[in-house]
Amino acid sequence: MSIFEYNGSALVAMVGKDCFAIASDRRLGVQLQTIATDFQRISKIHDMLYVGLSGLATDAQTLYQRLAFRHKLYQLREERNMQPETFANLVSALLYEKRFGPYFCQPVIAGLGDDNKPFICTMDSIGAKELAKDFVVAGTAAESLYGACESMYKPDMEPEELFETVSQALLSSVDRDCLSGWGGQVYVVSADQVIIRTLKGRMD
Amino acid sequence: MMKLDFSGLEPATLHQLPNDNMSDILSQAPSFKLPNDTDFDGFQKAAVQMVKPAKGTTTLAFIFKEGIIVAADSRASMGGYISSQSVKKIIEINPYLLGTMAGGAADCQFWHRNLGIKCRLHELANKRRISVTGASKLLANILYSYRGMGLSIGTMIAGWDETGPGLYYVDSEGGRLKGTLFSVGSGSTYAYGILDSGYRWDMPVEEAGELGRRAIYHATFRDGASGGVASVYYVGPQGWKKLSGDDVGELHYNYYPVTENVVEQEMAEGSA
Repeated sequence: MSIFEYNGSALVAMVGKDCFAIASDRRLGVQLQTIATDFQRISKIHDMLYVGLSGLATDAQTLYQRLAFRHKLYQLREERNMQPETFANLVSALLYEKRFGPYFCQPVIAGLGDDNKPFICTMDSIGAKELAKDFVVAGTAAESLYGACESMYKPDMEPEELFETVSQALLSSVDRDCLSGWGGQVYVVSADQVIIRTLKGRMD
Repeated sequence: MMKLDFSGLEPATLHQLPNDNMSDILSQAPSFKLPNDTDFDGFQKAAVQMVKPAKGTTTLAFIFKEGIIVAADSRASMGGYISSQSVKKIIEINPYLLGTMAGGAADCQFWHRNLGIKCRLHELANKRRISVTGASKLLANILYSYRGMGLSIGTMIAGWDETGPGLYYVDSEGGRLKGTLFSVGSGSTYAYGILDSGYRWDMPVEEAGELGRRAIYHATFRDGASGGVASVYYVGPQGWKKLSGDDVGELHYNYYPVTENVVEQEMAEGSA
């Protein structure tokens, strides 16, 4: 098994009408053994910007700490929050710094810009950005997630419908992956509110 | 002059020789072809690694006062991908013999069916059913002759014969063990934990079935390569009977129901 499959993960972010959803599974494993079923893969950078990190869990935690640090410095200097596009550039640069000894993570970035326009992107482990207008996926269940999202996605969904779509796509994809699942967590973010829901999934 | 029988002194060969033209073939010195490979020492191991699927599964069987409980999950995995959640891992060799599947699915299905054929032939030749000891030995000897060729089988043969309940563990390395409690597969360690703590000799059938079901459930929870449906079979004097086949996803919420978070607690944290 490759180093990206050591802990197991599943992440998906989707764009809706003036809102976005980002969802992850909750399993932390060591190859086939499940260690925890409440692992946090999605973290808040600021109220309108969330980042999910798939891949090796230790690198995901360390990378998140570095990103939070850089964002706090930015907030002190600029006296405002970072725009999602700027943050994506920051992540890409940080990852490429380690080009010959990379972090074994694939980030999924989701945020709401100043004009309430949702922004999502994903990257490989050395910082190649992939912007998308509809959805982005990462993790060991990525191939299943691509299929599920492609068939379930429609543009301009309202927050409630977006939540249903993202949850169904996530749960059906992780049910085909040995290394991810054991529940799910979905963040639906719009201009005025964030709703965090925990999903009841198959625990096998 | 009487011909002395020197057949016992001849060196044993791995392969079954064809029955026609026996005498000229037997008179040749035994030999085997060498492989056309650069890596003579390692090619066999490489071949085994290529075909060897991981024994991603959980199966268990134990003998108790009333008979035998045999239980298994139903997930088939190819590396990280789940290829099926509905595989029959408890194979019905005949109405009083069960075999479990762990390792390569094709290997287990084929050789169990082959064993069923041999058991039937034994019945026809000897006018009585084969014992569990005999059936497991037949399988073990076949597997031993294919040792090193990449078969991947970790099976338990469970059945009821004239001497009562019988349980044997047989694997593709050629091992054969008689015992009262076994678990095989990547999830076996988790199942052993539940089995060893809950096992009693004089349990009623329902309690024993529940122990087997719980053990499979816990293994599917912790092991990534086990999941799907927990099937439980009971083998008694009248033969085997399927007790239950419960979806493990639903079993989890039966054993550990979701508790609602009380909102008051969160508000108290905020004010403190």
